[in-house]
Amino acid sequence: MDRRKALKFTGSMAAAAVAGPSLLSLLQSCKNEARVDWQPQFLTMDEAAFVSKIVDMILPRTETPGALDVKVDIFIDKVYAKLYDANGQNHVRKEIEKFNSDCISDFGDSFVNLSESDQIKVLDKAEQNSGQFGSGVWGTTVGNPEPVGFYRSLKSTILWGYFTSEEIGENVLNYDPVPGAYHGCIPLAEVGNKWSL
Amino acid sequence: MPNFNIDADPKHTYDAIVIGSGISGGWAAKELCEKGLKTLVLERGPVVEHPKDYTTANLDPWDMELRGGLTPEQQKKHYKGIRSGFIGQDTEHFYANDEENPYTEVKPFLWIRGHQMGGRSLLWGKQTYRWSEMDFEANAKDGHGVDWPIRYKDLEPWYTYVEKFAGISGEALGLPQLPDSHFLPPMELNCVEKHIKERIERDFPGRHMIIGRVAHLTQPLNGRGQCQYRNRCSRGCPYGAYFSSNAVTLPAANATGNLTFRPYSIVQSIMYDEGTGKASGVRIIDAETNEDIEFKAKIVFCNASTLSTTQILLNSTSNRFPDGMGNDSGELGHNLMDHTYRVGALGKVDGYDDKYYSGRRPNGIYIPRYWNIDEKSKTDKFLRGFGYQGGGYRMGNSEAANRKEFGGDYKDSIMKPGPWEFFITGFAECLPYHDNKVYLNKEVTDKWGQPTLSIDCEYKENELAQNKQIQEDAVEMLEKAGVNDVLGFDNEHEPGYGVHEMGTARMGRDPKTSVLNGTNQVHAVKNVFVTDGACMTSNSCVNPSLTYMALTARAADHAVKELKKMNL
Repeated sequence: MDRRKALKFTGSMAAAAVAGPSLLSLLQSCKNEARVDWQPQFLTMDEAAFVSKIVDMILPRTETPGALDVKVDIFIDKVYAKLYDANGQNHVRKEIEKFNSDCISDFGDSFVNLSESDQIKVLDKAEQNSGQFGSGVWGTTVGNPEPVGFYRSLKSTILWGYFTSEEIGENVLNYDPVPGAYHGCIPLAEVGNKWSL
Repeated sequence: MPNFNIDADPKHTYDAIVIGSGISGGWAAKELCEKGLKTLVLERGPVVEHPKDYTTANLDPWDMELRGGLTPEQQKKHYKGIRSGFIGQDTEHFYANDEENPYTEVKPFLWIRGHQMGGRSLLWGKQTYRWSEMDFEANAKDGHGVDWPIRYKDLEPWYTYVEKFAGISGEALGLPQLPDSHFLPPMELNCVEKHIKERIERDFPGRHMIIGRVAHLTQPLNGRGQCQYRNRCSRGCPYGAYFSSNAVTLPAANATGNLTFRPYSIVQSIMYDEGTGKASGVRIIDAETNEDIEFKAKIVFCNASTLSTTQILLNSTSNRFPDGMGNDSGELGHNLMDHTYRVGALGKVDGYDDKYYSGRRPNGIYIPRYWNIDEKSKTDKFLRGFGYQGGGYRMGNSEAANRKEFGGDYKDSIMKPGPWEFFITGFAECLPYHDNKVYLNKEVTDKWGQPTLSIDCEYKENELAQNKQIQEDAVEMLEKAGVNDVLGFDNEHEPGYGVHEMGTARMGRDPKTSVLNGTNQVHAVKNVFVTDGACMTSNSCVNPSLTYMALTARAADHAVKELKKMNL
């Protein structure tokens, strides 16, 4: 299937709601695609399948590589394995479990086993309900933002992994390791995609 | 750059010992070496040679294990410093190990330290401002602290002297509260900053918004390259484009042939000779071998950084000075100050979505102090004043993560830069209070068994009143400038976050109430000089490093003249 066309249509709850039966059946036809062909360091195979599915749904392949193409799922596992302490790791494990138990109570199965249309509904809901990042100044958060939810935190780690991958950083975004000068006001059209560094 | 001579000989008496190699220590080394003194620089940490030891300088995120994230072990090593938000995989080796070098926060205080050649001159923000006449007069006028023994005119030629060598970029404005430096060309404001500058200066007469004055070269100087706008400064600059001891002052000192640089040298105390009434040298612990070694010298410059210098003086006890060298006044360790930090406002700016910038400018905007600078700007809400730093930019990953979207269209949209955001954050002057203090803690020792510091410091009424004004003014200025969704914030960061710690061995006119005289000499031990932040008598609201440079060059000049007259 053409993931790009399918997922393009589903950026919001509203879009999902107006999707007609034909589209829904099309989406359902690609259920149970989740598979893991790498050896996780921290995640179980089931958890890895869950992470991979979300990674792919948030940043699918379009005209540019998707997050799975640049191995963001493997990166997420590595982050949990190497950058989280035991408390953080336990927390992640519990949050994945909770995410799945919510899927079971709302849709009757854990996330990776749901139809794509139900998975979209789950993520739409998570987008609405998961707390957002507060503003930051020079590395510290300012104001009193609500706590960031697990979903938002995972999404942010996915973006981090994606934008700091070599393929995206050097070939998709604008890569300029030694700019040599600062120009404070240029047309965006001259640059196109954002700077990678 | 040639290698440094690191073979210090304890049997040899040096002309001068400099404790510490950061911003002020580098200047002391350069000035003393250039004036012909055989100078031993003692550095607590390793050699960081420009540019070969900037091991992370050219790494892209994908070149780094874990893309620059800190492991739990590294987080533990920096368990205090990490709250600053500055420490990453690319720079953590330049931040001191908090586990090996503990300190006790009697009240919350963040102490950021750099234990290597160059110290925090590798890590500093490079914002570079002269202090003004009103700063040096402030204590005398409102009666807080003691009077500075010097005035702006005493330091003015020394500011010019150090600026010409360090290289400061900026724009001359002729403001009395922020005297102009000897400038290299200024960096450029971006579209949003230009827009906000116009609005603020139109709607708030007397307020100015300028490009930051920074110790970055905007054109080559003395063989150093100009800024390449990579904004990877804290990893060490391979071009030597920003001022650091490593790239600028220590190579100059080394070129004289008079420098001996000894790494891994933890100064335990300064030795006092009861017979001559002078310091005879320093006692160190070799950080690698734990060996105790003594070095002799005619003069000693203390440049270990504000609190470390005071720690050494407090630990330098003798029959004459049972409470620490030069502590006849009882003021040693007292009157600790830092700028308040992280109070301000931010918001989004519309209308420039088709505009962008190129290059990563290691600089932002500055709004000089505008309260209490003349009759018209006087307020009864607080004494002294504050300035703002800030800037405009297009938002990145956290804004993209916050969007309630996912999927292909979302992915394609976040390939473009995010909305423009603009922020300002204030730095307010802290008054000198006797009860904001540090003292030796013998219960908690460091890795080498040495007593550590307890830090007992807090902001009081005048600082909190300024913070209130900072936030009110910031919100008002941004709203009037057309910024949307303005969020005012006061995150009440404890002192230390500003990393502008000053005082604890202040200069003054009277030995009964101060530790140092007008040429940075310990009143009662004239061959010991303190020219780092410990010497500061008041706090100003502007960044202090340039003033440390000028005070150091001035004191070194005085020291050599006095040596020649056989007065030391």
